Amino acid sequence: MKKGLTNFSTKHPWLVISLAVLITAFFGAQFPKMKIDTDPQNMLKKDEPVRVFDEQTKENFALHDFIAVGVINDKGAFTPDQLNRIYKITEEIEKIDGVIVDDILAPSTVDDIKQGAGNAIIIEPLMAGEISTQAEADYILSRIKSNPVLRGKLASDDGKAIALFIPIQSKDMSNRIAGEITTITKQYGGGAKYHIAGLPVAQDSFGAQMFAQMAYAAPATFIIIFLLLFLFFRNMKVIIAPMVVAIMAVVWAMGLLILTGNTVHIMASMIPIFLIPIAVLNSIYIISEFHAHYKKNKHKDAAIRHSINELFVPMLFVSSTAAVGFLALAVTPIPPVQVFGIFVGFGTMVAWFLSLAINPAIGMLISEKTLHRFAEADDAHGPLARLLHFLRDYSASHNKGIIATAMAVVAISAVGLSLIVVNDNPVKWFKKSHPIRQADVAMNEHLAGTYMNYLVFATSGPDEIKSPEAESYIEGMQRELEKDPIVGATTGLPDIVKKVRYELFGADKSKMSLPKSQDEIAQMLFMFEMSGGNPDDLFKFVTRDYDQANLWVQLRNGDNQAVSKVIARADQYMAKNPPPTGMTVQWAGLPYVNVVWQKLMVSGMREALFIAFGIVFLMMVTLFRSLRWGLISMLPLTITVMAIYAFIGFIGKPYDMPISVLSSLTLGLSVDFAIQFIQRLRTIYSRTHDFKQSYHDIFEGVGRAIARNVLVVSVGFVPMLFSSLVPYVTVGAFFLAIMLVSGLVTMMLLPAIAKTFQKSLFPVMTKSDKQPETTHQVA
Amino acid sequence: MKRYTQIMLLAVMALLVRNLAVKAQDATEIMKKSHMAYYYAGNDGAAEVTMRLIDKKGGERIREFTMLRIDKADGGDQKYYTYFKKPSDVSRLTFMVYKSATGNDQRWIYVPSIDLVKPISADDKNSSFVGSDFTYEDVSGRHWTEDNHKSLPDGQIDGKAVYVIESVPKKPYKGFAKSISYIDKDTYLPLQEEYFDDKGEMIRRLHADKIEVIDGIPTVTVRSMENLKKGSKTIVEFSKITYNVGLKDDIFTERYLKTPPHEYIK
Repeated sequence: MKKGLTNFSTKHPWLVISLAVLITAFFGAQFPKMKIDTDPQNMLKKDEPVRVFDEQTKENFALHDFIAVGVINDKGAFTPDQLNRIYKITEEIEKIDGVIVDDILAPSTVDDIKQGAGNAIIIEPLMAGEISTQAEADYILSRIKSNPVLRGKLASDDGKAIALFIPIQSKDMSNRIAGEITTITKQYGGGAKYHIAGLPVAQDSFGAQMFAQMAYAAPATFIIIFLLLFLFFRNMKVIIAPMVVAIMAVVWAMGLLILTGNTVHIMASMIPIFLIPIAVLNSIYIISEFHAHYKKNKHKDAAIRHSINELFVPMLFVSSTAAVGFLALAVTPIPPVQVFGIFVGFGTMVAWFLSLAINPAIGMLISEKTLHRFAEADDAHGPLARLLHFLRDYSASHNKGIIATAMAVVAISAVGLSLIVVNDNPVKWFKKSHPIRQADVAMNEHLAGTYMNYLVFATSGPDEIKSPEAESYIEGMQRELEKDPIVGATTGLPDIVKKVRYELFGADKSKMSLPKSQDEIAQMLFMFEMSGGNPDDLFKFVTRDYDQANLWVQLRNGDNQAVSKVIARADQYMAKNPPPTGMTVQWAGLPYVNVVWQKLMVSGMREALFIAFGIVFLMMVTLFRSLRWGLISMLPLTITVMAIYAFIGFIGKPYDMPISVLSSLTLGLSVDFAIQFIQRLRTIYSRTHDFKQSYHDIFEGVGRAIARNVLVVSVGFVPMLFSSLVPYVTVGAFFLAIMLVSGLVTMMLLPAIAKTFQKSLFPVMTKSDKQPETTHQVA
Repeated sequence: MKRYTQIMLLAVMALLVRNLAVKAQDATEIMKKSHMAYYYAGNDGAAEVTMRLIDKKGGERIREFTMLRIDKADGGDQKYYTYFKKPSDVSRLTFMVYKSATGNDQRWIYVPSIDLVKPISADDKNSSFVGSDFTYEDVSGRHWTEDNHKSLPDGQIDGKAVYVIESVPKKPYKGFAKSISYIDKDTYLPLQEEYFDDKGEMIRRLHADKIEVIDGIPTVTVRSMENLKKGSKTIVEFSKITYNVGLKDDIFTERYLKTPPHEYIK
């Protein structure tokens, strides 16, 4: 195959290029059909139990995702002016398309049950219209504080903060609606600080911003890589090929993804940024090899054939191991990650194939004159060469020290790995300076929390949730959960029953407790429905059949770790206090879904990593036809993965979604250099049977190509370090770290091992070498 | 010539204005007659009522109650007494309304489990009646003088000729921005009513599902209210209807809230 393809490409360069352009045009034509999906819920399979239950809970209790709007005024938000502004803002928000007007929680929309004239009980809006006196403003605050359903949720006890909860039809509207709300608060604001928070906004705006940043990050990376290649090869025409291959690989992969009906999710938007460096790597090897060969022989056709011939096997293995790393993501239970893995894997193989087809074809079209100039340019004495020569000498002279250091690194890394903390919070995907992060901090400091979890208590039949046993069980759970400092408030059916009872008995504090009989509980609830409140408010806490109750658990912190603690607390409570017979208790809500999603992600990623590791190892053993070489070739990737993740463990950066996805990238990329290094070292050795010579040469040809790759890829991703989105910074840092660590390990540890175990690794080849002793010379 | 044209125009305009006035008068008159036929049939009345509250997903809840009504004057004040039988955990709960034709209503509830009578403030007539798609106002009637009425071309509902009247609240109202009533030309009963919000979207629709003549009085015995925004529906069925039973005014007092009048409530 290798000869055939190269022959064909060199004989019919125009045909090959035209065919590739045609196929690229076909895949490019799919782009208009692109369907973008920023809904984080789709990170889970449609039939994933946690998602099914969450959606069912939302349906049963007519719950919606909401945007939390915070109004914070350190001089006090409860003034007539401020409240009237909020009144106006609420009116304007009601006009926004996609807002569930009936379910808005704001001073002007919520009902307050209270004592009216003549011993009457009265339900009326907390703030029925604009107000004019401070006394009215103070009264509204006092009503919020005395209502267990509203306290902490709608306003802070000190009156400095007010929250509006804006339910929306679907999460993927949150970014747009948040934008419209900001416009409104700017227009009617005054005095106070306005914040917009909540997981839906964070997750949806993250999706939107990710696509926006991808639109410039991918081209920026592309341009920087192009400039770096120019710096290395000083020839525009020669470096066209790698760039063409990169573009085509991206277009083919994305085109096929769209053609097969997949949506472009947040993960898939990262495909170009992953494929560009992978695609460029192959070409750099080819061009470097070509350069070296052409310089000597000045024969274009022969140089091309030679380069491909030399590189075919290592390139095949480099690409297929990278592809295996990504394809292994298909075992994760997370569809967007599967899609990502499959199509980056596909793109990797496309890049391999195109490198073999396009590089020779374009090479054939470049005039001999240009190539002469290209060949003359030589950086054999530049800083890069000096660095390589230093590494060559150092690795040879300090071989044992290097091996000892590597062992120490592995040992220390093992400690670091054990320190890894699994945690995630989509809000923290934004930098601290981002308005969403600031809103999160400000609102959760003042109010009961912007993260809403639901705890669903299901009984076996209608009306059963009204039993005193069921109600007091829910109440007990509330008191238990509220012990956790991140639980800002819990709101449930018992609160409504108690509040109605309290007001019925003429605001008698001693009656702020659960009744002992089911009839009384039922009648308190019926009272609520009778007395003119919005009956739908009740059915956010209980089903119409009264077989299930929904406890709202408001959290001040959305970190998966913090949410997990609350869940564990509930579990412990249930273990100590078993629920009444027939009752089941289950969580729903976005923070909980994120916890489960993370668990699936972490375990799925671990599995993918082990599978990929195993397959790559088998491939290495096959490639080198040697168990020992197979093991040695795994060292750079093993040390790189361990060192990077240990570093994360040591600095205490939480192991989150982006970091877990990057493990497959680390694996795929860091085996690359080892393959090139070992394969070429052995090839040279089998030709020369001179270890010293081979050791020397490896740092010239392949060594330089590896160094170039390290620089191209790591510098190419530097722009991402300045992104406002934390996962982007992480991706950029990872590329940098993978390249540097695996590059260094390959160029230092592998030579050191080769040197140290020279005798056994490079046995005397009696077949063609009649003077074995020469190969035993110490390099 | 010019002068003649002006006079002709003026005459035409005068005629138009007069016609409109007559029409407007007619529309208000029709609404008043309809209100009488629908809410003030007889001097008093008693009925067994079954309400089926059907949610978006088809789930059903039942409310069963006996309802007594007495009129002070046609089109004037009324008193309502409601005794709940179902759901069973609220049985014996009673509810009383003094409906004022001009001012605010007064409401009381008796909660049997705690043996307590409590006045309930009733500022918002637009709020839901016992959690159904009917509002308090739908049950006791919105006074026709609160809206401006206008006749639209006559139509047909369920094969019956109807007057079509468009009503717009005189004062801005949370319940609806506009309603259209389809009133039977024979009985003056509303066969259908449609309520619209300020965006012109229909939010609720009332339909008379069954009309029977009881004690010589045409009566809507099954009616349904659909909430188009929520996708829910409430069907109300009246049975054992009697008119002019001679209810005494003192039944409508706190004493009878606690101990229901056995001659009417079984």
